[in-house]
Amino acid sequence: MTDQPIQNCGKCGLCLSVCPVYQIIKQEQASPRARLQLIKAFEKKDLTASPLLKDLVSQCLMCGACKVVCPSGINHYARFMDMREQLARSLPEPPAIRSLVYLLAKEYRLRMGAGLARIGRGLTPAALEKAYKIGTIPVSRFPKMNRRPLRSTLPRVSFARGNPRGRVIYFTGCATNYMFADTGMATVHILTQLGYEVVIPESQTCCGIPMMFHGARDRAVVNMTTNLTAIQKAMGENEGLRPKNARDAAAENWDAVIVDCTTCGAALKDEYPALMNIPAGSSHAAALTRKILPGMPGLIARKTRDILSFLHDHIDDLAAAMTSDIPKHKVIYHAPCHSKNSFNSLAKVQALLTALPCFDYIPVPDETTCCGGGGTFFYEYPDISKKMMAKKLAGARTSGADFWLTDCPVCRINLHGNLSEKDNRIVVHPVTLISQGLGK
Amino acid sequence: MISPDLKKQFLAIVDPARWLDEKEPLFCYAYDAFVEESMPDAVIFPETTEEVSQILALASAHKIPVTGRGAGTSVCGAPVPVRHGLVVCFSKMDRIIEVNTKDRYVIVEPGVVNADLQAALAPDGFFFPPDPGSMNMSTIGGNIAQNAGGPRCLKYGVTLDYILSLEVVLASGKVITFGSKNIKDVTGYKLAALFCGSEGTLGLVTRAILKVVPVPETVKTIMATFKDLDDTANAVTDIIGSGILPAAMELMDRLTLNAIEDKAGLGLDREAAGTLLIEVDGVAEACDKQIRQISEKLHAHHAVHIQEAGSAADRERLWTARRSAYGVFAKLAPDIISEDVTVPVSRVPEMVRRIVQITDKYNLRVGVLAHAGDGNMHPMIPADKSNAEEWERVMAVFDEIFRAAADLDGTLSGEHGIGLAKAKYLPLVMDPGTIEFMKTIKQAVDPDGILNPGKFV
Ligand SMILES: Cc1cc2nc3c(=O)[nH]c(=O)nc-3n(C[C@H](O)[C@H](O)[C@H](O)COP(=O)(O)OP(=O)(O)OC[C@H]3O[C@@H](n4cnc5c(N)ncnc54)[C@H](O)[C@@H]3O)c2cc1C
Ligand code: SF4
Ligand code: SF4
Repeated sequence: MTDQPIQNCGKCGLCLSVCPVYQIIKQEQASPRARLQLIKAFEKKDLTASPLLKDLVSQCLMCGACKVVCPSGINHYARFMDMREQLARSLPEPPAIRSLVYLLAKEYRLRMGAGLARIGRGLTPAALEKAYKIGTIPVSRFPKMNRRPLRSTLPRVSFARGNPRGRVIYFTGCATNYMFADTGMATVHILTQLGYEVVIPESQTCCGIPMMFHGARDRAVVNMTTNLTAIQKAMGENEGLRPKNARDAAAENWDAVIVDCTTCGAALKDEYPALMNIPAGSSHAAALTRKILPGMPGLIARKTRDILSFLHDHIDDLAAAMTSDIPKHKVIYHAPCHSKNSFNSLAKVQALLTALPCFDYIPVPDETTCCGGGGTFFYEYPDISKKMMAKKLAGARTSGADFWLTDCPVCRINLHGNLSEKDNRIVVHPVTLISQGLGK
Repeated sequence: MISPDLKKQFLAIVDPARWLDEKEPLFCYAYDAFVEESMPDAVIFPETTEEVSQILALASAHKIPVTGRGAGTSVCGAPVPVRHGLVVCFSKMDRIIEVNTKDRYVIVEPGVVNADLQAALAPDGFFFPPDPGSMNMSTIGGNIAQNAGGPRCLKYGVTLDYILSLEVVLASGKVITFGSKNIKDVTGYKLAALFCGSEGTLGLVTRAILKVVPVPETVKTIMATFKDLDDTANAVTDIIGSGILPAAMELMDRLTLNAIEDKAGLGLDREAAGTLLIEVDGVAEACDKQIRQISEKLHAHHAVHIQEAGSAADRERLWTARRSAYGVFAKLAPDIISEDVTVPVSRVPEMVRRIVQITDKYNLRVGVLAHAGDGNMHPMIPADKSNAEEWERVMAVFDEIFRAAADLDGTLSGEHGIGLAKAKYLPLVMDPGTIEFMKTIKQAVDPDGILNPGKFV
């Protein structure tokens, strides 16, 4: 992380112009600058933890737009995260959020939860599903769980087709594993078609970001350690090396750590290296240093690529591999906050959508505005979220597109959830159509 | 303090969602982009002129201080409620009521963000010339109250030059409307000039009719570099003095340029002691001719390199350099302070020299940046406010810079305003009689002194 902790917010207000929440609420207390002011007041003990303070700090999508624009180089993300953690200590999260964090913390709980949710969706009467909403989304518009978790249906190593070009690690994240298997299948298919060997680290788990957002840093750290260990192991094992040589092997032999979700990606890229700064002496620090090779988090961070930017490197090969008679799908794109703000991938994605024959890409004016999903934001602040979505929906409806593409699972849930059956628009990750375009 | 009973009366005017009086949110209305803070007792968000009128009538009856607020981007403390009381925030009164390019005007509410107005005009090929660096967030109400300007105001003039008519609510709650939709209008006092730049001390603007102009056919941008900062400044004086009027003319010194290059790597010349970013606009042929004339002058002042932006992307790159200056400096130290003294353009070389001398004397770093064509200096000093000794030196530097500007027939502020920051320096550039006259006006318009009290009048 590039935070310079000494840096003060100069209150210039530039962040007001990009904050999706401020743009809706139009009151200063909902701005990034105000959140920093509140944090300062809290640190100086001018304010104590209160439900209102917590609300003002949490009315934020953690989208990172403020960080990108800030001339003073403030790392809002880190500061907000710290504050959320401190507030969560004295003001516990509501039960629904707590159980989510509990669920995400352990892979087996997630698996069980997903199973139950499947059964739940199977048993719930259709009428009830339509009537009930979670946040802004009717239960019937929530995604169905994968029949089996993606990772249990894919081999650990998928070999390259044709001429081998290289080797990548694929961090699937939990949304793809449990809900959006199509994204995962497509990702592996495209990468192997391009000549990459794809290795999926075993025993990976939720990236930890949702817990961080809700102040459960301890749990997040445990998950992060698990994931780093899993990736490190996959990198080393594949070479048949002892763990201590894994770092060199990793540096030389792996082209990328691929993510299909830019939020997971932002975690690997920004949060994991910062992990190494947790105070020595804590039990977590000990576990970390025992399990993870020095320099490994930084190395993994540097290799982390979002799938679309990675595919952009191969744009010509992909275009050449598609025959001109393949179906062209009318598509619009929704740029997730982390794709824009952490991976700066917008121009590359637009180039892909324009260049590949499988797309008939229709740019819509608000493709980069936030959809208001923001992890659990749509659940916690449905009114604000709904307003953010309204304009996007109108744009999508007039566009005439059949597909609404986005590379973040939460955006996908949110976009799909706010469309209705009548809309007849399919929300998928762009890789799904690229994979179809490549054929078998 | 606002009593529970009085609060009830305010809540009869607006719904509770547009009233804030809890401690947490109030912290967020204590500041602008200047360094001083002071909390209000409550914040209210009107949506109509009628509501503003009722709010002021009520505040007047109870002598509650009232401070207007747009986006809070003022850099002089203008919207900071130093006497507490009520902040009237216009962010929700943000409708563009009419765009009429045929008669070349727009009608807007005060909370409209400058950039949103520009976006609304763009499809018709028109624009609103005042372009403060804060245009993506600052409001038209704030622009009017501060008489904001920006780079292209060299050619086009400042906010005041674009006001055709204002609707203003006076302290008593009375609503007045003056001016018309006509560009020529000499009926009575030019009251716009009274309210524009008054920093919310005379009345609250609730509606404005603004003049808009067509986007010029062509824009040409060049960047010239010099080995010597004096040459750079002399070139400015010479170009403007010879009657050429570019749309913008921005000066940057070596420290600024290098700091930008360190961060952004735009391929700027690190050896240059000074650079000028110059833009001309208008009909293509006229632009070409102006660029030729300007280039001759630049060469006469020993410009070592002149590059013309060949494409829109190139132009964007040059402006990115200029625009990123503030951000780059802001990162050099925990805090940054920037001023905007202004001198007649013939005194630009001397003023630049003095700024450098003064900061050297106090052993501080300074980035010299200027809207040089209109003599508007923006020295930026990165420093650490928590270091009391250093901060004292910073204050001493600005003290001397203000005096130097006054000495050169300049003025305290070209665009940022007086607010809290420069109130005590007013006598440097204004005689006692004039200050007295301003007080007389204030007294007549706002006898109880409830509008933005504690500021320069
Ligand atoms: C990064 C940055 C760059 C800047 N660049 C420039 C620049 O290039 N040129 C320039 O001129 N300024 C510049 N500024 C200063 C500032 O943005 C301008 O003064 C702007 O006009 C303030 O608008 P605002 O909406 O933020 O008003 P605020 O800061 O909220 O208020 C400013 C003053 O206006 C009063 N006010 C607000 N609304 C009303 C109303 N409706 N009726 C009556 N009074 C009202 C307030 O009481 C206060 O006194 C810059 C500031 C920043 C932070
Ligand atoms: S952009 Fe950065 S410095 Fe400016 S107000 Fe926002 S947080 Fe503060
Ligand atoms: S992270 Fe996004 S929502 Fe949160 S304050 Fe920053 S810009 Fe606003």
